[in-house]
Amino acid sequence: MTKLAIAINLERCTGCNTCTMACKMQNNVPDGMLWNRVILEGCDSEFGAQGEYPNLTKRFIPVACQHCENPACMKVCPTGATFKDDKGRVEIDYDKCIGCRMCMAACPYNARVFNWNEPVRSTGFNYGHKDVPVRPKGVAEKCTLCKERTDAGDVPMCVRCCLSEARVYGDLDDPNSEISQLIASKNAYVLLPEKGTKPQVHYFN
Amino acid sequence: MTDTKSLFKKPAFLVLAVLTLVGIVCWIMQQINGLGATGMNNSNSWGLYITCFMFFVGLSAGGLIVASSAHVFGIESFKKVSMPAVIVSTACICVAGMMVLVDLGGIQRIWRIIIGANFTSPLLWDMCIITLYLIINILDLVWMNKGEEEKVRKLSYVALPVAILVHSVTAWIFGLEIAKEGWYSAIMAPIFVASAMDSGLALLLCALTGLKKAGKADVDDALFNNLGKLLATFIAVDAFFIGCELLTMGYPGAEGAEILAIMTTGSTAAFFWFEIIAGLLVPFVLLASPARRNNKTVVLAASALVILGVFCKRVWLLFTSFVTPNVYGGAGITLGTSAAQQPYANIWSLGGTYAPTVPEVLVALGVISLGVLIFLVLSEKLLAKKEA
Repeated sequence: MTKLAIAINLERCTGCNTCTMACKMQNNVPDGMLWNRVILEGCDSEFGAQGEYPNLTKRFIPVACQHCENPACMKVCPTGATFKDDKGRVEIDYDKCIGCRMCMAACPYNARVFNWNEPVRSTGFNYGHKDVPVRPKGVAEKCTLCKERTDAGDVPMCVRCCLSEARVYGDLDDPNSEISQLIASKNAYVLLPEKGTKPQVHYFN
Repeated sequence: MTDTKSLFKKPAFLVLAVLTLVGIVCWIMQQINGLGATGMNNSNSWGLYITCFMFFVGLSAGGLIVASSAHVFGIESFKKVSMPAVIVSTACICVAGMMVLVDLGGIQRIWRIIIGANFTSPLLWDMCIITLYLIINILDLVWMNKGEEEKVRKLSYVALPVAILVHSVTAWIFGLEIAKEGWYSAIMAPIFVASAMDSGLALLLCALTGLKKAGKADVDDALFNNLGKLLATFIAVDAFFIGCELLTMGYPGAEGAEILAIMTTGSTAAFFWFEIIAGLLVPFVLLASPARRNNKTVVLAASALVILGVFCKRVWLLFTSFVTPNVYGGAGITLGTSAAQQPYANIWSLGGTYAPTVPEVLVALGVISLGVLIFLVLSEKLLAKKEA
């Protein structure tokens, strides 16, 4: 089996949002929403720090679909539009999505965005990769782990473009892969482990 | 039959018809422009429609439970009101079903549910059980109208558990979501059944008062008093379950306590306290005394308060869990609304933010008006006949 995933080194992440924009461009993500966002942990804005002066810390966390092994979104989808594919990615069949937004309520990570309107792109044209399907209004969407790229053997665009090489992409089922080795040696962790969703996206320092 | 004609001439009927039409127009606009016509966004992905859905599934309960209890438990006095009770139940479940439909972003793909049903989805369970429930209601009406007592009696044994289940399944849409601290609780189904019983019975009392005034239902004072006593009991059960849930949420002082703080002092506090004081405490005190229960105005006021209170409860239950995202940090969640799509607009929200829009309220009002029309027409057709 294959279980594709990303591991992110938070010590290397500078919060530059290049992953955010790379993802948006690759996947034709419309205005007003993002598949990948970088949040500043414990802060109320994108500028700030945690703790009390002078003992301050600052940590950025890139958040997108966690490609859970036990995806809450998939279970609740009434039409089976959300599914786990043979490479361990959580994907959406947009033709099956009826826009009930059960998945958005079920996802503990707020990873999903919805096309509330006819998608707007300030460029006036579709800027995504030619193989990425254009989503209509009324469907949910989210990170596909760059399905079109990873199917072709490439790494996801966020991994490709990360300036500080904070992102590592690979197969969790291959114990010799760089990602598996890193997760084991760096004591990597996942977001909200208490929810039992078993995310495949890992974080480490 | 002259009654039916007179109904269509009533100003109330006209107002409801106009409201329904306005609702339909707004819904068509929403179909054209997308759900962006509502106040919903990525940070708060369910709104007024789902609130009303929960509310009306609940309201539907009282009717069918009273009507089927009449047969299952042999409560003779309830049999007299079983026809109006099932009419209320039918109208409410139609409203509830329509509320889910207007909430869908891709209703043109709804057939996908039939060919690709995912049986682990509580929403799918709900659609199945609501359909079954509606069929039972209609069968009940048809058989009661024909006076087929035996069939009605047998149906009641199915109707009662299905009535309980329809509210439990609605609760599971929320209660099984581990993502939302304020929803994920085993007591969600019992709470839904309890509040369905009290709000449903309260609505039935209001409907019976109206029907009696119109000379369409024969409700003696003793029955009214009895139903009032039953309502007081249901309120107490509801309050007990809510109390259990609140204590469990707050006691560890952990994540649940944060949700509780939003409910008691935060953005949903007005709805929470209205429900606790005006929706549970006041009506219970009003209905607890047999003397006060003999006063129709008091019973009616208590019923109205219970209905309003349960509506407020749906509001705090739904929205409180959207307020703080589990993975919290600046700049937050991208809204994805048309406002966020304007050049240089702020696309971020730290937490759940929501206010219903005018078209959204009009769609909901339209659906409710259609429900009232269904109630009026059914009452006219089925109850007038009995009198003649």
